Parts: sequence; structure tokens; C-alpha cells
Amino acid sequence: MPRKRSGLRGVPTSIDSVLQAALTDRFHLGQILVQKRNDDFVLSHRDDEVCTDLQTFRNAEDAVEIAKYDEAGNYRSLKTAPNLRRGWRLELSTSPELKRALDYFYPGRLAVFAAWKSDKLQTTLLRETLERQSGMYRVAAKISDEQIDSVVGDFCRSDGGCLRTILWKRDQHGTLPSTKLPLKKIDPAYDQIKALGRPGSTTPATATIPLLCQEACNLLVAECRKVVKGE
Amino acid sequence: MTIDRANSALLIVAHGSTVNPDSSAPTLAHAAEIRRRTIFADVACAFWKEEPSLRDALFLFDPESVREVYVVPNFISEGYFTQTVVPRELELNGQITKRPSGQIWKYCEPVGNHSMMTELLLKRAREVAPGVDPAETSLLIVAHGTDLNENSAAAAKREAEKICALAKYAAVLNVYMEEPPLVSDWRKLTKTQNVIVVPFFISDGLHSYEDIPRLLGIASERSTTNSRTAPVEIFRRNRYETDGRLLFYSPSIGTDAGFADIIIEQAAKSAGV
Repeated sequence: MPRKRSGLRGVPTSIDSVLQAALTDRFHLGQILVQKRNDDFVLSHRDDEVCTDLQTFRNAEDAVEIAKYDEAGNYRSLKTAPNLRRGWRLELSTSPELKRALDYFYPGRLAVFAAWKSDKLQTTLLRETLERQSGMYRVAAKISDEQIDSVVGDFCRSDGGCLRTILWKRDQHGTLPSTKLPLKKIDPAYDQIKALGRPGSTTPATATIPLLCQEACNLLVAECRKVVKGE
Repeated sequence: MTIDRANSALLIVAHGSTVNPDSSAPTLAHAAEIRRRTIFADVACAFWKEEPSLRDALFLFDPESVREVYVVPNFISEGYFTQTVVPRELELNGQITKRPSGQIWKYCEPVGNHSMMTELLLKRAREVAPGVDPAETSLLIVAHGTDLNENSAAAAKREAEKICALAKYAAVLNVYMEEPPLVSDWRKLTKTQNVIVVPFFISDGLHSYEDIPRLLGIASERSTTNSRTAPVEIFRRNRYETDGRLLFYSPSIGTDAGFADIIIEQAAKSAGV
């Protein structure tokens, strides 16, 4: 069964109220900087804050294409991977557009964060996720604890893997996802971008909304399957 | 019963892909169109292979404001995903699931099951071959075939039979990539001057960009499409002359804007359940 997290939150929180709280001036979400300019919102890559030669977009749906490929033109199958391309600026005039654009950049993450803030987010053990699989992924459940430690440590690392903060545990004993990951990887208060160690990407903001991971994604399940099958 | 637009949300679930950039594009486009029509308080998508995941979808709708969630599978047919994966991942107990919060989730039929699909296939055939006389034309509906636990081949056969019964086209055939009747045998299977080919898939991808054109003999070898250079050129350069016959090749049926209407219809059908 999924586990309900324990915590001091519990105040009902909608995505709108999350954005309102963050939007006093500027905030970070993953690799994105959101700035409020009068009544408008300006989004850009965090590393592009001081750049002036950015391509300007004005439609929330443009975020779909911006988020689709990395700098090299490769398809980004994991939107929370630290490979969002630079060189763009997205100007939006309404809050619903901002919400929609952020959901294209980081699908589902605002809703998961709002659920976490309200203490309604349920996390699922990796072992439960693997045991639940069927079809070609059923075999993934055969992965050993040692193999999980290695796969998760590599696949989920913030510097090159995924920028999410992991909230799930490996098994019913409360085992951490991987000994190869720093404890900051499971701390929602830590800005995972810092793991990239790039200058200019950690400009102070009034708020940083973490990209929370309540359950192993299908990509990680697929990696576990590969390990079991020796691929 | 109608959909209560103030308190209802629509969740479109689809397969998605980790390698095909165009797999989720039609689903996202249909969602954007339905959102524009303000029929629902909220419209979201969830995918098996992309984000947000089906598991993420459990948290997409605030139970304080959204009392009903209509789940419409953007799939061509019933099968493994609609019957096993989606219910399991979304923790659905059947047609209606009541969450501890009181929120009701209604599981609707996949888009491919709707009777409007037949008219959509006919519309797509007319658009891809404007001015071409159906009486001198064969219409081929292409599905994958040999799909594990999927019924897309049967769905293609059903649609071909329904269109055939209308007696508009000289011939209407269901053909497959990997089992007889094979799409690669189109020259033997058809006798008319004109042939229209419509892929019966939810999205464009390797099958519609490269595999089917190769089997039809209008394109050469397969390349990789995980970059920006997706070969949509195959549709732009339509009307292929081959062996003295004219072949018209359509994008996958799931890219048709009419899918948005079908998605809404499938949700509306469940509104009174």
C-alpha cells in the first residue's frame, strides 16, 4: 500500500496558492527562473538571467517544444533531467498560462508539490512499484538490493540524471533509495540545481519549488529491468 | 446527465514514448483544444511512458474543487493497457471509483471504440485525396497486427467493414504490418487506379513515418527519429505515382483534430453512469 508521509504540513494547498505564495518577486522551479514583471510573468533558463539575445515566446503551449529537445537536439524523455535547453524567454500575461507552461516544462510537479504541502501526498516504496509491474516489466522485481543501490545512485543523481528530490524509500524497512546519493537528494529544502555546480545557476530567489518524486518513474523501472536482464 | 463543468475534470490517458518525440503530441493538442472549450473545470493528460505519469495523475485534481474526474483512454482499442495497466496505475475499481476524499473517478471507453471513428476515417480519406472519386479508389486501414493482448487489428477490421457497408469506395481493406493481409501486398490486394492509405494509430512515429511507407514502397530505409528531424516529409509529398497507380498516404488517424470531439463524447457517455 502507498504510504502517507508524516510531516508538519497539512494546510490545504492548491497549485494556485503555491504559485501565489512563490510569486512575490521571483522563484525557481528546476532549471527555470520565473520573474514577475508588473502583471506579466517572464520565464527563462536559470543560466540565462543576464542574457539579452534570447528568443522570445508568448504562448504557454510554446513550452512543449522548448522542453522537448536538449541543446544537442535529442528528445528529452525525462523532463526533470538537468538538460533543459537555454536561449529562450517565455512571456506570459496570466496566472493560468503560467501554471500551464510550468506544467509543460515539469509535468505534474506543481500538483505533487501542492499535495505534499497539504500533507496529502502518498509515497510508494520502490519495492512496491516493482512488485506491481506486469508484462515485460514484471521481471524488474527480481533486482537485488545491491543492484538497486547502484542503479538508483546512477540514474537518479542530480548531476546528470534527474533533478527531483526523492521522497520514496527502497523497502518496508525504510531503507534510503541509494547509499550512493547524498542525503541532500532526499531533502525538499535543498535546491538540487546546486549539485550541477554551475556559476550563475544559483541566483537567490524568494522561493525554490522542489521537484518532488513520490514514486519511482517508469524510466527507473525500465532501468531496473535492464539490470535484471543483463542488458 | 451532462458533465458538470464547474466541478468536473478530464484526464486523457495515453501511452507516450521514451524515444518518439511525436507520440504524445496529438494527446496534448486534443487536451489543449478541449481546455479551450471550457467544458471541464480542468483538463490534464497522463502517460504510461512520459510525464506526468499515470501515478502522478492521482494528485492532479484537488478534491476540494474537482468532484468528478473523467478518465478517457486515448487508445485505438481495448487491450492490455486499457484493461490492465491504466486501472492498476490509477487504482480504479471499474467504471466508477470513489476515492477516500469523496472524489469520483469515471473510467470511460477508449476513443477507438466510438462510432464517430468511422466518419473520422472517411473525412481523413477525403482530405488526403481531394477530388478523387471513391468509386475508383481502394481505402486501406493499416494497423500493426500481432500486438500482444491488443485488439487494434480487430478494431481496424471492424472499421473497414463498417466503411465497406456504406458502399462508397470500390474496396475497403484492413491491412497489417506484421500479419496477413500485409500492407506490403497492397498491389496484389487492390485493383483500382487510386489507393488511399490511413494508418490506424494514435500518433505518428516510426510506423507511420518510415515503416509503413517502406512497406508501401514509397520510402527507403529506416532512420532514427529521436531528434528534431522527424520525417514528416512523407506526408507533405503526398500523391505517389507507382506502377501506374496513384497512392495517397495519410498521417495517423489520431492526429486528426476530430479526436477532441470523440474524447468529449466518451466522457459524456459516462456522465450518466
